[in-house]
Amino acid sequence: MNPLELGFMQRAVVGCVVIAAVAPLVGSFIVQRGQSLVGDGMGHVAFAGVGVAFLIGADPVLGALTFTVLAGLLLVRMGRAGLAGDLALALIFYGGIAVGYLFSSRANAGQTRLVGLLFGSPLNLTWGQVRVIVALAAVVVVVTVALYPRLVALAFDEQAARVAGVPTDRIVMALTLMVALVVVGGMSSIGLLLISAMMVVPVAAAAQLSSSYRTTLLVGSGIGAASAFVGLLASYYRDYAPASAIVLVAIGCYLMASAWRALNRRWRPAISSR
Amino acid sequence: MLSEVAPPTARQVLEVDDVSFTYGRTPILHQVSLCVDEGEFVAVVGANGSGKTTLMKLALGLLRATAGHVRLFGTDLGAFGDWGKVGYVPQRATAMSALPVSVDEVVQSGLAAGTGLFRRRSPEQRQRLEHVVDLLGLTGDRRSRISELSGGQQQRALIARALVTAPRLLIMDEPTAGVDADARGVLRESLEHLVNVEGMAVVYVSHDPEAFAGLAHRVVEVEGGRVHTAGQGPDVLAEVASAP
Repeated sequence: MNPLELGFMQRAVVGCVVIAAVAPLVGSFIVQRGQSLVGDGMGHVAFAGVGVAFLIGADPVLGALTFTVLAGLLLVRMGRAGLAGDLALALIFYGGIAVGYLFSSRANAGQTRLVGLLFGSPLNLTWGQVRVIVALAAVVVVVTVALYPRLVALAFDEQAARVAGVPTDRIVMALTLMVALVVVGGMSSIGLLLISAMMVVPVAAAAQLSSSYRTTLLVGSGIGAASAFVGLLASYYRDYAPASAIVLVAIGCYLMASAWRALNRRWRPAISSR
Repeated sequence: MLSEVAPPTARQVLEVDDVSFTYGRTPILHQVSLCVDEGEFVAVVGANGSGKTTLMKLALGLLRATAGHVRLFGTDLGAFGDWGKVGYVPQRATAMSALPVSVDEVVQSGLAAGTGLFRRRSPEQRQRLEHVVDLLGLTGDRRSRISELSGGQQQRALIARALVTAPRLLIMDEPTAGVDADARGVLRESLEHLVNVEGMAVVYVSHDPEAFAGLAHRVVEVEGGRVHTAGQGPDVLAEVASAP
């Protein structure tokens, strides 16, 4: 049977492909700024929001969104004050996951549900959840396109961008909020702990194949989407955990791209010396 | 041999007035003053750690002075908004190589502030882009990955980025550090054109007097947290070189 004829697979494919295509758009800017682990940290904070939402009976998406946005604002303020050092970030991020688990267990949220949020459960997505994912992804795409020149200037050199008149504080804020949207968008599909991998790994793979930033961004988006599709099919046929399969396919793409680049480097001098 | 240079005009593009800066409890600069006129080339020299870069960052608003005032084009720094008039070439940006970035993208990033939401660049911006790329000899390297170019070519791309808004004041921090002789030659020719033909004011921070020989109208030295004029006029390099 064609798995794409099954309703749960259709929802999984749309939800995962959309968020995995959008995550590298944001990821390219955080990787360039040397903040590859910010998405991971935001996932931890989102878990605190989920825990609080469980405790008070609210929508987990709303809880995660509120906490990640607040954490984003706090991080930007700490950055401005020169307080966003490794230790301070670690306290916030690990505190987030501790609070999340504390409140979730108090609310008797159930291990299966928690594992689904942390590691993704795309096969259980509803069309309502898919619509939320698509809406959050659309916001990220629109903001990325609208602010693209400013985001690029910020990512290349924040000080030079500021002198050139780019409102860097506001652009950093926009970027941080986009990270939050991707984390929340990926929560129910790829999982809070694995979505950050889709911000970073496809970008790292694309960087091996590209000679410009724009190409890296677009190729990374394509690798993200393809990884989601192939990973879901692999999970269907081989009964793998879907989100893990998606991330492992992306890592496979990175390894293949790195090998291709290494071989290309070895061949090029041999060809040019003829 | 020093080349003929036009005398500076009276209009001040940069005024650093009695500025002090303390990092933590360590005083870095103490009641420093520096004025740069339109069309003037001012070289700032001093030993490593003397506060040259700090002075430039204060002038650009990247650091906040603990005392004193900075004015750009006659406007107090806090109220200044016409940043297209100011170009800045920082010491080499190492983060630039994290992902592939083409020379064209680096240069274009200088136009970011002047490009509206969803808008493409104006014909004037595109024309200026072509001009600076050509001026700095980067035409053949526009699509190249910047991390694969020489130090000199990378530096020229950063300078092109600073020039793409047609600034009236260009501040350069150690632009020839780690750059080969050929690249220094291209940079020198470009600076001569910018100062003598386009009338741009240049503040050139360097610890190497040879880098600005024949270009500088005035040399100021940062030493012990203070600034003083080390040389002026056509014999400027000789004066700096003979200073104790």
